[in-house]
Amino acid sequence: MVDFGTAELTLEMVQASQLGMRALGAGLAIGLTGIAAGVAEMAIGSAAVGATAENRDVFGLVLLLTVIPETIVISGLVVALLLLF
Amino acid sequence: MAGISSGPATNYKFYANYIYACTRMRVRRSRLIPREDYLRMLNMSLPEITRFIGETNYRSEIDELGTSFSGINLVEEALSWNLAKEYQNILELVPGKLKYFTASYLRRWDIQNVVTILRGKMQGVQAGKLREVLVPAGRLDKVALDRLLTEESPERVVEALKGERFYPILEKELPRAMETGSFAHLENELYKGYYARLIADATEGIKGGKIFLKYIKLEIDTRNIQNLFRLRAGHVREDVRELMIPGGSFSVEELQRLSGLEDRDEFIDALKRQVRTTPLLNALEAIRGKGAIHEIEVALTRVQLDQMERISKRYPFSVLPILVYLEEKKYEVANLRALARGKEAGLPGERLQGYLVM
Repeated sequence: MVDFGTAELTLEMVQASQLGMRALGAGLAIGLTGIAAGVAEMAIGSAAVGATAENRDVFGLVLLLTVIPETIVISGLVVALLLLF
Repeated sequence: MAGISSGPATNYKFYANYIYACTRMRVRRSRLIPREDYLRMLNMSLPEITRFIGETNYRSEIDELGTSFSGINLVEEALSWNLAKEYQNILELVPGKLKYFTASYLRRWDIQNVVTILRGKMQGVQAGKLREVLVPAGRLDKVALDRLLTEESPERVVEALKGERFYPILEKELPRAMETGSFAHLENELYKGYYARLIADATEGIKGGKIFLKYIKLEIDTRNIQNLFRLRAGHVREDVRELMIPGGSFSVEELQRLSGLEDRDEFIDALKRQVRTTPLLNALEAIRGKGAIHEIEVALTRVQLDQMERISKRYPFSVLPILVYLEEKKYEVANLRALARGKEAGLPGERLQGYLVM
């Protein structure tokens, strides 16, 4: 008789599940930090466009300031890579 | 569901627009003429001042009007044009609810323009001359003001304004003004109506209204205190309730009581007891040593501007940074006009300095 109600966990199944969880964690790390960077850049970007509209000379400086929140998503990327490899 | 999902996105969009507009205002504010330049201008002659202004934000107006006007008229016209253009431009770039509050604030220019036209019509001044002194920075633009200028009598001007917010007050007060030949009472009533309307706009539940209300109260308080000092300087001891603006932190009755105090020091002490903000307390203490009314007015205006700047830092993305710029721009134009007029009249620099809000 085969019991279809319970499945035995084999070593392969556990490993596959762990890999799946790691991939999910990596995805979350990239996705959430991406959203966070977007929100942060929205505020800085609006101010940057406003400042540039008034004074074109500040374009280089405000461009630099706008991309600083990218560090958030870079840290997410590092976490994701560490999880996967 | 759509409402829930679109809510935060809409908020973010507004938030971004607020930041954009407020940053632009801050950058513009940083380009206003600094104190050191005013001090330099005090030692210049009128043509030098005109050239100096022509090298700043007023260049396009000075260039444009240079062929039609000269001397003091060129400066006056360029300043008025620039102010009107700047205000209309700001009204175009501010978003959503900020536009509503800004437009509300700018209606004071309508009152100024309409009263100027009424006075001019009463005294039979030419339309062309009147047009030179108008500042079309409010709701009534150049075209609307030109239409008013073509009307023949003050009654017709008022009739043409039917539908405007302040029409009921105009209609009610005009006969008395025509009878007495003085528009002072009419003007007072119009400004009182303007402030009452501002309070109504701020308290009708629009988001950001509370912050706008803070500015209105500060403005009313400053005006009332300035008026009390003016009345003291003019030795007016009668009932001042009609001259005070209701809606500030002082009630009209309190202001009446304050105006009744005979001794100047006693008056300042009583005022200080009612005031809570430290900068205003310090200014009142400094005023104690000042005699000239214009010095007192300038000191109080400076306190108001500083206080507005302070509140605008507490609410950096609200209507306040915009109002701070609008007010400071107004005083910049007033300063330049005073400088130019003073130089034209041959007043010494030290005397003029007392009239500048720096």
